[in-house]
Amino acid sequence: MTMRAENLRFDLPRLRDMTRSSRRFWSSLEELIDEEGFRAWLAAEFPAASSMFDDPGRRQFLKLMGASLLLAGLGGCRDGKSGEALPYVNQPEGVVPGVPRYYATAVTFEGYAQPVIAATYAGRPTKLDGNPDHPVTRGASDAFMQSAVFELYDPQRSKLPLKDGVPSTWGAATAALTQLRARWQERRGEGLRILTGATTSPTLIRQMAELTKQFPKMRWSQSQAIGTALQDEAMTLAFGRPITPHYQLDKCDLIVSLDHDLLGPGPHQVARAKAWAEKRGEAAPGAGRARLHAAECLPSLTGAVADSRLPCDASRVPLLAQAIAAKFGVAANKPELNPHEEKWLARAIDDLRNHAGASLFTIGPQHAPAIQALAPAVNQALKNAGLAVWYSEPILAPAEPTPLAKLAAEISAGSVDTLIMLDCNPVYDAPAGLQFAELIARVPNRVHAGLHVTETSHASQWHLPLSHALEAWSDGRAIDGSAIIGQPVVAPLYDTRSVYQLIDFLLGGSDPKADNAVRATWRERFGDQFDARWRKSLHDGFVDGTTAKPLTLSPKAPHAEQRETADQYEIVFLPDPTIWDGRFANIAWLQELPKPLTKITWDNVIAISPAIAAREKLSNGDVVDIDIGARSVRGPVWIVPGQGPRTIALFLGYGRRAGGDIGQGVGYDAYAVRPAENAFIARGRLSRAPDRPQQKIASTQAHHRMDGFDFVREVTATNPRTAPPKDTPTLYPDWNEIAERENRADHAWGMVIDLDLCIGCNACVSACNVENNVVVVGKDQVSRGREMAWLRVDRYYSGDVENPKSYFQPVPCMHCEKAPCEMGCPVHATAHSPEGVNQMVYNRCIGTRTCSSYCPYKVRRFNWYDYRNFAEAEQAVKNPDVTVRSRGVMEKCSYCTQRIQAAHVAADKEDRALRRDEVTTACQQACPTTAIVFGDLLDRESAVAKRRQSGRHYVLLEELGTRPRTTYLARWRDEPGEESA
Amino acid sequence: MGPIFSPAADTWLRLFLIAAVSLAAGSVVFAVRFAHSDWVTGVFNHPPAQPVPFSHKHHAGELGIDCGFCHTSFAQGPRAGLPPTHTCMTCHSQIWTGAPMLAPVRQSFADNNPLKWNRVALLPDYVFFRHDIHIAKGVGCVACHGRIDRMALTYRAKALTMEFCLDCHRDPAPHLRPKNQVTNMSWSPHGDREKIGHELVKQYGIREGQLTNCFVCHR
Repeated sequence: MTMRAENLRFDLPRLRDMTRSSRRFWSSLEELIDEEGFRAWLAAEFPAASSMFDDPGRRQFLKLMGASLLLAGLGGCRDGKSGEALPYVNQPEGVVPGVPRYYATAVTFEGYAQPVIAATYAGRPTKLDGNPDHPVTRGASDAFMQSAVFELYDPQRSKLPLKDGVPSTWGAATAALTQLRARWQERRGEGLRILTGATTSPTLIRQMAELTKQFPKMRWSQSQAIGTALQDEAMTLAFGRPITPHYQLDKCDLIVSLDHDLLGPGPHQVARAKAWAEKRGEAAPGAGRARLHAAECLPSLTGAVADSRLPCDASRVPLLAQAIAAKFGVAANKPELNPHEEKWLARAIDDLRNHAGASLFTIGPQHAPAIQALAPAVNQALKNAGLAVWYSEPILAPAEPTPLAKLAAEISAGSVDTLIMLDCNPVYDAPAGLQFAELIARVPNRVHAGLHVTETSHASQWHLPLSHALEAWSDGRAIDGSAIIGQPVVAPLYDTRSVYQLIDFLLGGSDPKADNAVRATWRERFGDQFDARWRKSLHDGFVDGTTAKPLTLSPKAPHAEQRETADQYEIVFLPDPTIWDGRFANIAWLQELPKPLTKITWDNVIAISPAIAAREKLSNGDVVDIDIGARSVRGPVWIVPGQGPRTIALFLGYGRRAGGDIGQGVGYDAYAVRPAENAFIARGRLSRAPDRPQQKIASTQAHHRMDGFDFVREVTATNPRTAPPKDTPTLYPDWNEIAERENRADHAWGMVIDLDLCIGCNACVSACNVENNVVVVGKDQVSRGREMAWLRVDRYYSGDVENPKSYFQPVPCMHCEKAPCEMGCPVHATAHSPEGVNQMVYNRCIGTRTCSSYCPYKVRRFNWYDYRNFAEAEQAVKNPDVTVRSRGVMEKCSYCTQRIQAAHVAADKEDRALRRDEVTTACQQACPTTAIVFGDLLDRESAVAKRRQSGRHYVLLEELGTRPRTTYLARWRDEPGEESA
Repeated sequence: MGPIFSPAADTWLRLFLIAAVSLAAGSVVFAVRFAHSDWVTGVFNHPPAQPVPFSHKHHAGELGIDCGFCHTSFAQGPRAGLPPTHTCMTCHSQIWTGAPMLAPVRQSFADNNPLKWNRVALLPDYVFFRHDIHIAKGVGCVACHGRIDRMALTYRAKALTMEFCLDCHRDPAPHLRPKNQVTNMSWSPHGDREKIGHELVKQYGIREGQLTNCFVCHR
C-alpha cells in the first residue's frame, strides 16, 4: 500500500479554512487532504509489509516464502569456530587493543576547518565529534562532520591516477607535470591557471605565493558553488574591503533575519546553534531569551524556531530591508508594503528599537550586495556592532568575485594553456550560463585532482586521486579565525597525495613527504619554539592565539535600488540540506538522511508554495519543467507549506553524472538552469511536463506515525506549565517499586528532549547512525517505510497552511518502564535492565516483529534484508563496540548502552561510583543546541533530573501508561504575535 | 468373523508407543547433550594448528614467565592482547636463534608481516567480553583458560558457553581471588572459599544481581 494522496485534489481554500480555524497539529499535507487514507496508513504496522511484491500472486508468494524458509535454515550453518588472530610485529607504544584513541584534527567544509576529535580503533577512525576544547564546536557537531568517516571509507573513492580515463601511475603523472613545468618556466607561467575551492589554509596560501614567485604570470582562483561572493561584495560596499561579520547569537536579545538561515546547514551551523541555544535556554519568550523574527522565501530551520515568521518572496526582501533601514535613518525612502508585511515589520522594528545594543539585524548572503550592505549600517545605527555582531579581517583567503566567469572568458579568448583543478568540480557545478563543460575542452592541458572521479575528471586528461582530510596533513582556519593543524588519523588507504604534496610537485619538489609543506609553514611562524608549539597545537587541535581580532569599523550606507517585479515566478537556488553542493552526493547515509523540513530522502524536489500548487493545479510528485531564460530543467514538485507565494526553490547538488554509483542519476541537476549572473535568485516559468507520470518521492514524514494526540505541546508565558500527569489505573506493579523491592540498581537512565531548543538539524540522527552501525536501505526500501535510523525527527505544523508554525520532535526509543514491546516478545529477546534500559538482544531475536506492532511510539526497526555485504573499506567504519545486525532481527535505540557499559567498567575498575553526567549518548554529544540531555534520574542534581522538574515537562502518549524514560519539554509560544490570534 | 487385531497387536502398539516416546525424549536429551558436548563447544584436547608450536607449558609453567609479560593489556583493555613479534624476539634474538621451529617468527620480524595465529578461545561476535574488568575484580586467568601452564599446545579448556559465563555472573563469590593472585595458576584459598569469596565481593564492590542482564555482555 502506498499513500495515494498525490492523486487527491490540492484544494487550497478548504485547507486554509481547516488550518486557520483550529489549533490542531498536522504532520503533512496528506494528513489534511486525505484523512481516511492517512488513518489506514497509520493502522498498518510496517505499512509496506503487504506490498512486498508489486503483483502479489499467491503462487509466487508461496514460492518465495518456501525459499526464504530454506535460506533461514541455512543461515544458521556458519562455522563460528575458526578465527585468525594477527598481533602487531612492533606494537606502537600506548596502544591497548580494543580501546579507542582520540586525536584532534580537522575536516574542511566550504574552505573552513571544522575542529574535530577523531576516535580511532587500531588505527582506523570510526567516529568524529566536535573538538570540545574548541570554541567553535565545543563538542557539538553537524551531519556533515559526522558523515566525514563515510566519505573516507567510500569504496568508490578514486584510488589511482588516470590518464584519459585509463589507469596510470604517479610516476607517469609526475613526469607529465615536470614536462609542463618546463613549459611554464619558459613562459613565466603564462597560460597557467590553478582553480581550487575556497580556502583558509595558511599552507596553501603560502604555496600559491611561492608558485606565483616562480611563475609570475600564472593565476590562482577559487570557485565555490555556494561560497560567500555576494557577502564579500556587500562588505566591500559597506567597509571598503571584504571583511567577515561574526554573529554573536548568545549576546542577542532579539534577532531580525531577512531570509538569512542563521541556524541552517553550513559551516557556521554548529557555532551559531550553540550560541543561540545558550541565550534561549530555559527562559520564556521575552524574559531574557532571544526573540527571533524571520521573513523568508523558503521555510528554514531559522524560520521554524522564529517567534514570528513572514513568508515572502525573494523580491520582497529588498523592500523589507529598505523599510527597516529607512526607520533607522539609513535608507532614504520607505517602499510600499502590503498589510501582512507591515504587520510583521511593525513588531520587528519595535523590538529592534527596544533592544538596541543587544539585537541583530541580518540579511541573507544570497541577496544583492547593495541590499545586504544595509545590515551593517542598521546594526551600527542600533549600536549592535561590537556586541551582537563584530567584524574581523577576512577569514577566507581573498578571492575575486566571479572567478569562473573570468576563467571562462579567458578560455574563450584562448589564453589558457594549462588548467589545474584541485579538489573542485567546475564541470558539474559551474552555472550553466557559463557553458564551462563545453569551454574546458578548448584548454590544451587539463589536470584534475579530487577524492572521486567526477564530471571534471572525465573532462580532463589527467585525474589524480587526493587523500581524504583524515589521511593527510593539512591546516586551515575555523570560522572564528583560529588556525588548526590537521593531522592524519589513518595512513592513506590508497596510493593518494594531498593537495599540498601536489603543489609541492608543481613547485619542483620530487616526491615530497606528507607533512613537509604544513611543517614548513608553521616552522616559519613558530620560529624557535617550533617543536613545543607544534606538539601543543596538534594535541589541542588549534594554534593558540590565532582567533580573529575584532575590528572597529564604521560602515557606509549603500544606495540600494528597488527592483521591479516581472510577471514570472521567483526561482531561488539553495544548497541541498544533506548533500550540499553535490560534494556529498556519494555518501549514502547523507542521501538517506531526511531533509529537515520536507523529510525527503534520496531526491531533490522543486519546492513550490501552496499558492502555486493551487494556481497550477499541482500535487506532490507531479513532474514539471522550470524554464529560466533558454534553459530548462525537469523535476518533481513538492508543496511546502509556508513558502513565499510566488517562490519556487531548486536544490543544488543532485543530478550528478559521475562521482560514484550512489549519487549518480539521482534527482535533477539545478546547475543546468543556474544563470551566471544572479546565481541565487532568478526568474522563470513553470509548466507541467507533458505525458509524464508522477514521480515517486521517498518522504519519511508519514512513516512510523503514532496513534494518539498532543505529541507536541506548547506553553506560554501566562500559562507556563503543561497539564499535570494523570494517574492511569494499572495492575502492573510500579517499576520503582520493583526496583526498590529487589534492591537492584543505583542508576535510572533517562532522557529529556527540549522541543524549544531543537532546530531539526539532523546532527543527532547522523551521530546515531555512525555510533550504532545503522545501515542505509536505499530509496525503494525507504519508500516502503523500512528506513533503519534509530532516531527519527518528526516534523509537525500548526496553523495556516500558507504560514504554519513548524515543530521538530526527535523520537528515539522511549525505554518505557512498562514497555509494551517486552510483553509481546515470545522469546524474551527484549527485556528490562535493572537500570531501566529496554534491552534488545539481537542473538535471541527470531524476528516475529510483535514488539514493533506493540510499540506505540514506532521506534523499532526491522532488518528486512541482510545489509552486511559491505565493501571491504566500509567494514572499517563500523563501531567495534556495537553488533552489526543480521537479517531478520529487530533493532532500536539502546541509549548507547556501549557507552554506559564502558563508563561502568571504568568506574568499577577504579572502585568508584559513576560521576554525575559521566555518560553521554551519541545524539546528546552531537546536539549543537543541547536539546537532548541524558543521565541518571536517581541523581537529583543531574542535568536530566533537573529538566524533569521543569514546568514544561511532559510525557509522550502519557495516556497509555507506559511510563517512558524519554520525555519532553514543551515548546514556548510567544503570545503577542499573530499566531495566537 | 474373528477379531481384526491379534492379541499381539496390542503389545506391538504399546511397544511402538514406548519406542516413540523414548525416541522423542532421547532426541531431546541427545540434542541438549550434543549442544553441550566438547565437540560443539570446542573443548577438546586437540589444539588448533598454529604457525609456531608455542608451548605455554614451557614458557608459563617451567620458565615462570608471568601472563602479563606477553599479554600486556590483560588488565587495561577489553582484549588481553597477543604479543607482537617483537616480544618474541626480545629473547629469541639471543636464545634458540637458529631453531627451525622459530623460522616463522624470524620471518615475520624480518618482513614486518604479522604472525597468523588461530584463535583458541573464540567468542561469538555478539558477545562483548572484557578482560580488564574481570582481572580488576579478581577473576583468575585460570577460571576461563584452565591450567594453561600445563598445556604443551594451547587448547580450549572451558566450554565458554553462555551457561558457563552465567554460572559466575549469577554467583561470582566462589570464583574470586585476591587481585595479586589473578595470574597464579595454582592459587587455592586458605580457609573457607565461600567466606573469602563473599568478603571479596564486598571489597571489590561487585554489583551482584546486576551482572546477568543482557546488556552486560550483548549490545
